Amino acid sequence: MRDREIDNILNRAAQAPHDVDPALLDRVTASIGASLRPVRPVPPVWVLASGLILICAAVAVGGAALLGFHGIQNLSVLERALIFPALAILVFLAATTFAGQMIPGSRRRVAPGALPGVGSFALVAVFAALFHDYRTVDFVHQGIVCLAAGLILAIPAGLASWLLLRRGFAVNTVAAGLVAGTLAGVAGVTMLELHCQNFEALHVMLWHTAVIPVSGVVGASLAWFFRFRAR
Amino acid sequence: MAPVEGSREAADRSASPSNLQVLMARYQQGDLAAATDLIHRLSPQLHRFFVVQFAGRGDADDLLQETWLRIHRVRHTYRAGEPVLPWLYAIARHIRVDHYRKARRAAGREECLEGLPEVAAAPSPESGRTPDLEALLAPLPASQREVIEMLKVAGMTLEEVARATSSSVGSVKQKAHRAYEKLREWMGGPP
Repeated sequence: MRDREIDNILNRAAQAPHDVDPALLDRVTASIGASLRPVRPVPPVWVLASGLILICAAVAVGGAALLGFHGIQNLSVLERALIFPALAILVFLAATTFAGQMIPGSRRRVAPGALPGVGSFALVAVFAALFHDYRTVDFVHQGIVCLAAGLILAIPAGLASWLLLRRGFAVNTVAAGLVAGTLAGVAGVTMLELHCQNFEALHVMLWHTAVIPVSGVVGASLAWFFRFRAR
Repeated sequence: MAPVEGSREAADRSASPSNLQVLMARYQQGDLAAATDLIHRLSPQLHRFFVVQFAGRGDADDLLQETWLRIHRVRHTYRAGEPVLPWLYAIARHIRVDHYRKARRAAGREECLEGLPEVAAAPSPESGRTPDLEALLAPLPASQREVIEMLKVAGMTLEEVARATSSSVGSVKQKAHRAYEKLREWMGGPP
């Protein structure tokens, strides 16, 4: 059997009339009519994404201003020119994906599930290319301090992002939470790159980058928890 | 190659996209006539979407009602100028997935007494009788059934189906292709 024949059968079947109980439609119309009033549409995805990018930038710079810009002051021009554009691309991707997740039927550029993994991998690649000091002095203690600082900073970034998109509607709450957490995590990493002056390769590759997946998982878990509670 | 676009007949059957966009914009402005028009135009295909996904007719009625109430609550998330159907089907799909999860939890607590429903006999292309879409799509997995339903009944494009299902155009094409392979196998062997 050829595709054309299958097509014809499907088209014939799809053309068959399908009736819905008129009483049901009347009920739906009546309940919608009872609470019908004008609403203001949400802004376009690019406006929302711009807002998210501004939030992330403000939180990262604000956090680094509180803790000191020791990291960026000690980075070479090449290191600055590679690390911050990479972070900017990640923020852009996460912001547009998050804004898209909150508007049903939006065009999808990146799979939400892939974002934390791809983002972390890209950052590790950039750090591996730039930092070659493989000593590990006080590796765990310094690492946990950086991870905690990044995650703590991700909290206001995540909250402000949710607040900006509170009028949206996530058809996949967990995916939206994952992307929101990832975005907040990128804000945390940006603050660490501005602040942290520990340029040991393994420290930067593991503890700084870990903020992104950990924050993403926290975001997805919170979204799952709230969805579960809402039932 | 399998269907790469929604059928023209289906597109003609459903309201024209620009009409739907105008109606949605008027609905957002609080126009009851536009809301009523949208409900009457789109409900049959939405209802069929639920029936095709193995919801009984009673369940499909409930899901349709729930979908319209949800659409009403989040109508501000529709952006003027954007296609209406991907937005609408993304919400309908969300309602269906929620319903499926609840039903699965309930089924986990219940003892199954009956076997699975039997799949109807395959229709032949020569028979003049109009085949039943639900029976026709029954052998397909839910994700493929959903894609074929959106392409054929709703008359959506691949891009629109990708938006509604939060996937890529490539993935939609692949599902449609696999659905056609399965239907070919079911209906009567190799081309």
